[in-house]
Formats: sequence, C-alpha cells, structure tokens
Amino acid sequence: MKNKSKQKIDEYKLTEATSVISHQLKSPLSTIKGYVEVLLSGDLGKLTPEQKKYLRGVLTNTAQMIALVRDLLDMARIEASQLYLQKKSSSLSKIVREAVKDFSLLAKAKNCELSLGAVEKLPLLKMDAIKIKQVMLNFISNAILYNKRKGKVVVSLVKKGKNAVFCCKDTGLGITEKEKKKIFSKLYRGKRVIPMVPEGLGLGLFIAKAIIEKSGGKIWFESKEGEGSEFCFSLPF
Amino acid sequence: MKKGKILIIEDDRFLIKLYSDKLSREGFKVRAAISGEEALHKISAEKPELILLDLVLPQKSGFEILSELKLSSRTKDIPVIILTNLGQETDIKKGLGLGAAAYLVKTEFSINKLPALVKEHLLKSKTK
Repeated sequence: MKNKSKQKIDEYKLTEATSVISHQLKSPLSTIKGYVEVLLSGDLGKLTPEQKKYLRGVLTNTAQMIALVRDLLDMARIEASQLYLQKKSSSLSKIVREAVKDFSLLAKAKNCELSLGAVEKLPLLKMDAIKIKQVMLNFISNAILYNKRKGKVVVSLVKKGKNAVFCCKDTGLGITEKEKKKIFSKLYRGKRVIPMVPEGLGLGLFIAKAIIEKSGGKIWFESKEGEGSEFCFSLPF
Repeated sequence: MKKGKILIIEDDRFLIKLYSDKLSREGFKVRAAISGEEALHKISAEKPELILLDLVLPQKSGFEILSELKLSSRTKDIPVIILTNLGQETDIKKGLGLGAAAYLVKTEFSINKLPALVKEHLLKSKTK
C-alpha cells in the first residue's frame, strides 16, 4: 500500500516536473516562432526568395521542436491519467484539409504525392480540434516520412454508420507482424524506420491512441510488409 | 489616429518587443509592464483599453493580477487576453473563470493574428 502511494507521488512529481520543463522549453520556442513569423510577413521589409526559404526552414524546425515538447508533455499527462480534452463543435473535413495543406511542402520535399481522396462534408462533431488534428498530422507525417521514393499518400474522411472515419493510406514500407503488436506502445520505434528518421521519439501513435480513445473513438491500422499501411480512426457523431 | 491603448504584462523582453512592434505598426498605443506591481502602477496612471497578460510572472502571477483587476470597479471592464505557454485545461478554465476575454497558448498562436484579435475584443468591449 505504502509503495503504491509513493509511486503515485513520484508519478505526480514527474508530471509536474515535465510540465515545468515543457513550459521552460516552450517559452524561447514561441519567441523564435513569433520573430520568424513577423519577418516572413514582410512587416520589416521585403525578403528575397532565398531569405524566405531560410526563414521557413527555421519555422519548420521550430514547429518540430514545439511538437516534441508537446509530445513529452502529453506522454507525462497520459501516464498520470491527466490528459484532458477541450471539446467544442468543430468541422472534421475542415481539419482534414488543413492537415493536408500543412504537409504539402514536406511531401514535395520528400518526392511524395500527397492527395485528398473522398472527403465527405459531415455534421459538426464535438471534439478537441487541436488534439484531433495532432492525430491526423501524426498519421500523415508517418505516411510521408516512412514512404518509398515517389510514394503516394491518400487521406480520406467518410461517414460510416454513426461514425466519422478518417484514414491515411500510404505506399510505404509496411509493418512487419512483429512490429504490429508494439506499434501503439510508448517509445517504440521499428528497427527499419530509425535510420530513415533518426530523431523520432516513438510517441506519436501512443499519444494518438490515447487521444482517440479519450474522445470516445477507435483507432486501427491495416498493413502489409512491403506494400504499405493504412491508419484510421473513427469518432462517433 | 491611435486605435486603442494596450498594456502588455509580460516578463520576456523579446516578446514585449514582438507584441509592441506588431501592435504599434497597426496604430495602437502600447505600453508594457514586466511585473504585476508595475502593471497595477501603470494602470492607475492611465487606464488601458485592453490588456495582454502572461501568466508566469515574477512576484504576482497572472492569475492574481487578473483577480485584482476584476475585483476593482475601475478596471473590471477592461478586456484581458491571456497569452501564455500554460496550456492545461485547469489553467484555461481558471483563466476564463476569472474573467479573461480570451485564452491563447503562445506556441499555438500566430503573432500575425494579434492585431485582428485585439481589434475584435476592443470592439466587443465598446459595444457592450
């Protein structure tokens, strides 16, 4: 009993410490983001295309750092059962379009064809739009980063019964039978993907699963080694 | 013509410059305070029409400052926009519960949207 309460206290301290560290890391990152956004907006003068390219590089990398910090904080919250969602009526189809747009540059850079498949206009859903978009972005970025050369990624949103179903299909490496069992585990990364993207943490799908389940939905995937994968989630209306 | 008097309560000098420059360029009259004490002093000298408030500040927290502003009849109607890196639901609920007009997380917010947001809340408070 004593051990259990000590463990609870330790978990609480860890969550608190992670929260403080995340805040300290987020502060300079939000400053960098703001400064670069102002430069790119042209407020301080016209920039050359090359200057814009460099600044977009800073912005992309800053966004990656912000996402890493957010993932660490989310992990700590999930561990401590403190992942809370702010649900509001939002449009899933709007978020899908935004998510695809956000990754158009990365797809181009990776020589990958990213496209929208069927995107049905669905009724508004009560959800945490930021967190749901985070899950979509995770699916799409995985599909682009772990794809083959000149690969394809197709994103879709359809109504199935009483659910909205989002799917992201790729022509990538596919997932081995051994990997399938661990794919949603915390800090798990398949051996074959580490050399492709060395800086990943293996938290994206772990967090995605927690967000979708907390939202009352389901998350799943189908995959064949060497042929590609399809990751989906459903949310009830 | 000045569009409105804004007070920024923020202890990061880089962010003060960022917000001040952005809003000044749009015609707002901007002042800044780096602590609660300085903010309350500046508010008593000249009442702002809108306040941008950080939460993690030296001495008094942003929540304490907000509570004090909402308790005083002179300042309770000033719209306060919280701009912070604290993004937990408990913080958001607390901020809005204390009477903040909006709660924004810095890393999820684009500085380029700040002038429009400030205009929107100034307009709302004037038409109340």
